[in-house]
Amino acid sequence: MKVVRMGELAVSATAEDELVSMGLGSCVGVALVDRARAVAGLAHVMLPTANAAYSAPAKFADRAVPTLLACIERLGAPRERMVAVLAGGAQMFAGAKAGVAGLDLGARNEIAVRDALGALGIPVCAAATGGDRGRTVRVRVGEARVSVKEAGGVEVPLWHPHVAADDLVEAS
Amino acid sequence: MITRYDEQQLDALRELASIGSGTAATALAQMLGRPVELTVPRALALPLADALDAVGEPDAMVASVVLPTTGSAGGAPVIDGGDVEMVVLLLFSYACAANLCELLGVEPRSELGDSALGEIGNVLGASAVGAFAQMTGLALEPQPPHVLYDMLGAVVATLLSSTAGELDFALVLDASLTIEDAACGMSFLLLPTVGGAAELLSRIGLEGKE
Repeated sequence: MKVVRMGELAVSATAEDELVSMGLGSCVGVALVDRARAVAGLAHVMLPTANAAYSAPAKFADRAVPTLLACIERLGAPRERMVAVLAGGAQMFAGAKAGVAGLDLGARNEIAVRDALGALGIPVCAAATGGDRGRTVRVRVGEARVSVKEAGGVEVPLWHPHVAADDLVEAS
Repeated sequence: MITRYDEQQLDALRELASIGSGTAATALAQMLGRPVELTVPRALALPLADALDAVGEPDAMVASVVLPTTGSAGGAPVIDGGDVEMVVLLLFSYACAANLCELLGVEPRSELGDSALGEIGNVLGASAVGAFAQMTGLALEPQPPHVLYDMLGAVVATLLSSTAGELDFALVLDASLTIEDAACGMSFLLLPTVGGAAELLSRIGLEGKE
């Protein structure tokens, strides 16, 4: 198991590998999966857009998505076969009266991730985003399966390659 | 903009945290009517992911109380980190949260239970922040507490995303409080924002390095 911590990304072409981001709150876990081969990547995005030169590789959505794509393409996965699966982007402090940082950060992160994926022509095939609970996302490289677990809940499948487009799970 | 903190600055922040959390522990002991033990606080400036690991297991379920603390500098609306100088954060296990609620005679995970935990956050936050304000002359005001049961990573990473902003490392001041004979230990954290840390340091004559 490879743990992808906040601001980090990882790619793998090893069937036995699992890529995991634990405790996503307003952060967004961006999984890129090759529909035909056991190649996958996961980025743990914290903020929407970078305006500083220095940063962890996957901290900002606008940089993380192209970087993740470049890393996974180097493992021989063509862009045309790539799909994206998203988890996270919650509004953790939805009920707060005032002054809690990161009030709509989750939503802004998700928009920035979707924009960056759109610019690269990569479809988002499933998403478990929004709400006010933390999530853990898990990518099983060999089966190209992505699953998600909400805080206090059980792990549920989010996407795998043999699901028809209309039947994709859109977790609430 | 501050791009790092040196040892002298971290020592000074640790000292502030030490006095702040000492005052807070005393206030909590008075509120609960039992002794509260306090560890020596740490002042950590770590890469973001390491800072989160230093706080705890990201997928552990925790009870948390969050109090954003604003300065009095501007009258601007407090949105998304606006003029938040630091975040006061309490983390405890579900069992500890239940013990504390029991101690205060309220049902855990009920509206009353949550407001009791919020009140503990108020007492700790107000006394620590008050001590900071007194030592630095900076007007600081804790906002109403927010009680949340969720994954540690989801709570802490969301807060660090905001306090660290553009920086690749986060400042964490933390101490452990143990309430004797209630089998309850909690983490008491102060997470200064980039602006808040700069303000605190400049007030004590240790301006951030360019």
